[in-house]
Amino acid sequence: MKKKGLIITVSIIAVIVLIIGIFVGAYNGLVESREEVEESWSNVSVYLQRRADLIPNLVNSVEGYTDYEQETLTAVTEARNAFNNAGNVNDQIQASNQLESALDIWVNAVTEAYPELKADTQFTALNDELAGTENRIATARKDFNEDAREYNSDIKKFPKNIIAGIFGFESFDYFEAASGTETVPEVSFD
Amino acid sequence: MLFLCGCSKEETLKPTDSFYVNDFADVISQSDESEILSKAVALNQKTTAQVVVVTVESIGAADPSEYALELGRDWGVGDKDADNGVVILLAEEERQIEIAVGYGLEGAIPDSKAGRIIDVYGLEYLKQDDFSKGITSIADAVINEVYIEYGITPDGYTPIDNISVTQNVSQSPLSVGVSWIIMFAVLFIFIMIFSRGGRSSFIFFPTFFGGPRGGRGGGFGGGSFGGFSGGGGSFGGGGAGRGF
Repeated sequence: MKKKGLIITVSIIAVIVLIIGIFVGAYNGLVESREEVEESWSNVSVYLQRRADLIPNLVNSVEGYTDYEQETLTAVTEARNAFNNAGNVNDQIQASNQLESALDIWVNAVTEAYPELKADTQFTALNDELAGTENRIATARKDFNEDAREYNSDIKKFPKNIIAGIFGFESFDYFEAASGTETVPEVSFD
Repeated sequence: MLFLCGCSKEETLKPTDSFYVNDFADVISQSDESEILSKAVALNQKTTAQVVVVTVESIGAADPSEYALELGRDWGVGDKDADNGVVILLAEEERQIEIAVGYGLEGAIPDSKAGRIIDVYGLEYLKQDDFSKGITSIADAVINEVYIEYGITPDGYTPIDNISVTQNVSQSPLSVGVSWIIMFAVLFIFIMIFSRGGRSSFIFFPTFFGGPRGGRGGGFGGGSFGGFSGGGGSFGGGGAGRGF
């Protein structure tokens, strides 16, 4: 009788330890993958900021050429202000998508109106920097979405969903590309 | 790997055995090919950096910069820790040239410099359909710029920054500190090397430097069978491209 009681107690303790172990492991795993997502987000936001910082330089470089494209330029300035004043991540994403398309329109407008800009080394250099920054944003965005997708599906799966519920792990919103650019096909050699 | 849009493109482009020159479109002459190859191999031995030339007949609807970047990541161009790889891609049908720069070389070859390398060294030839000469001369310039980053002065090469003075471009505060540190480091190395006398002075014009490098590891290099292979370097979108 006594021996049986001992076995039961030991088994119960063993099961409890096991469950705690699983939960601790799950918790730590979630913390790690959340940090990964946050890190890839910070890469995105560095490049978003860099694009916003490049704009005044680019605008200055065409000052000698244009008073015309004012309308499209105003849209850029407004979008840039909206981006700089964005309070949270979602606002920032929205503002930067707007900024991207406004910039695109403006750059196309000035290069069409002033073909000689293509020979202007300063404008070309800045335009290359801008294009490179756009590429970096696209790459960082893709990396962020991948990490976020992994994390988001993690917090929905058992047993991590329980941990996620208790400790308030919230899912990340994906950073979708600005409208009009999502038709660009993905390239993969995998 | 998962991708955002469902349009999976099952394309597998594997590097050739010579790794540094992959003339899939067959536009580079034999002698130019071996010239690029020997220079790229020498560069790799001296600096661990990898400059890889790829020509393809078509990239379809893909964005050239993304295509070049994915190639660089997939093949692991550059050293795994230094991420010092460069992919020079020519798409024949689309008439696009693209230089993709790995994280670790974004300081040596910022986007504006990549663009200027194409403009100064390649565009003339490419426009006249002399792809072989154009891409060889671009590869040459890129290799030389990488040498300079590693404190080695290639013979008979004028750094692109010294060609036709560009207007001084104001820098974004984000990268000012880093760029000056790199510049002084490069300058210091130059002075160390040339202190015994030879060339007199080098002038550097500050340009933009790439943003901070990301923490993402690259893929592994393609399997090699006695040939060369990638070192596992990664890319973040640096570089520039042109249509011609």
